[in-house]
Amino acid sequence: MEVKIERENAQVIVHLIGRLDTPASLEIAPQMNELTEAAGGTIVLDCSQLEYISSSGLRIFLSLRKAAGEKGGKVIVRSITNDIRNVFMMTGFLNLFEIQ
Amino acid sequence: MAVKILSVDDETDLELLLTQFFRRKIRNGEYEFFFAHNGLEALQVLLKHPDISIILSDINMPEMDGLTLLAKINEMRIPSLKCIMVSAYGDMDNIRHAMNGGAFDFATKPIDLDDLQLTIDKAVEQIEYIKSAQKEHAQLVDIQADLSVAREIQQAILPRAFDVKMHDAGEVDIFASMLAAKDVGGDFYDFFAIDDRRLGFTIADVSGKGVPAAIFMAVSRTLIKATGLQGLPAEECMAKVNDILCGESVGSMFVTVFYGIYDVTTGAVSFTNAGHNPPYILRADGTVEKLSCSCNLVLGAVEGMPFTGESLRLNAGDALVMYTDGVTEAENRNHDQFGESRLEAELAELKGADSKQIVSGINAKVKEFINGAPQSDDITQLVIRRK
Repeated sequence: MEVKIERENAQVIVHLIGRLDTPASLEIAPQMNELTEAAGGTIVLDCSQLEYISSSGLRIFLSLRKAAGEKGGKVIVRSITNDIRNVFMMTGFLNLFEIQ
Repeated sequence: MAVKILSVDDETDLELLLTQFFRRKIRNGEYEFFFAHNGLEALQVLLKHPDISIILSDINMPEMDGLTLLAKINEMRIPSLKCIMVSAYGDMDNIRHAMNGGAFDFATKPIDLDDLQLTIDKAVEQIEYIKSAQKEHAQLVDIQADLSVAREIQQAILPRAFDVKMHDAGEVDIFASMLAAKDVGGDFYDFFAIDDRRLGFTIADVSGKGVPAAIFMAVSRTLIKATGLQGLPAEECMAKVNDILCGESVGSMFVTVFYGIYDVTTGAVSFTNAGHNPPYILRADGTVEKLSCSCNLVLGAVEGMPFTGESLRLNAGDALVMYTDGVTEAENRNHDQFGESRLEAELAELKGADSKQIVSGINAKVKEFINGAPQSDDITQLVIRRK
């Protein structure tokens, strides 16, 4: 699992690359926690290279959304694959995020 | 605490030399010396003082020589016990033999005591490192024991008796199993009579693993049962439990829940699927139907969410098969997953089976599929069949 973070204008773009399973979620948690500081603005989660997401991975998405909700920012989920879209649909996450 | 050193030599002059040279350290309580005059005596002293951490042993001695003593000590497998061997200057054969036999270091006679001091310091450093590693290991073992207790608690709160005591219960055939993974997960199932006619049932999967997941699971299960017993429609029950869980959730923990109410007199099932894997209906004629996605949010994520209720009907011989993703995401050593299509095919094979046969049939197929690969998630099923 690899996370690449770029800042573009007022947006923070996060590229999630690989499998976001339970061990990977623990591994990237500190990086993602730092991101909540940017949660006042717009955070884009680019999932074009995200192959798999476990429930622990969904928790990270949820935490960011909560932080954004508190700080008045927003989280956009971009380019999800069909597999990830199915997980988002089943868990109701599809309605929680702006999907691009 | 003093470093305890056992000096083993058949000549007593070393005894005098050591106590003289290290007298300050002995007085300050840094070192404590013990003496033995051959290997056998040394082993007896070790038995009496198991906290000795350094042995300074001569090689040529009567009764039991130094190399035999070294071999005996190695057999005890105490990593925090270090042997420094003493031999005649130039006695490379014995020194090589001792070093190959696991000695920590060696000194040659006449002993350079300043150098011996350095060797002892080096040994003490290693011994402390090993002891701290052993301590950490012991703590880990303790934590693992706690985890296995958590796993037992998790198992113990699930219903084990599948005979439903209610009016017309003769129509209900219910069975479930949870095969817990090594790490404590958060799967659970439950069922309870709401009144004489209605049976509440649920299958759920808490996000994450370990003790936090097990606690969240216990809270969720209790809340669903307590709320379900009030006889609320499934969607209202889920909305209520969701709002309470949102207040309890730490670190964005959530739980996917399928909650249903089965009317034993009519076979009607009203249900709400809160983010859980859609169950299957195995019809009496062997057709397998997957319930469509309800697309409700999981519980514990966002307060005030609305939930939709749906309904289905079980006719005689139909079974509602609920499972957690531990079934479909079970992996073999090549990381292939059991998957939904395999599950559907196996269910079709189980046409006419009762609830227990369905649960054990699928468990057997999953076990066969993973073929000894380590189980990474709880594998849970709940089946309700109308007789």
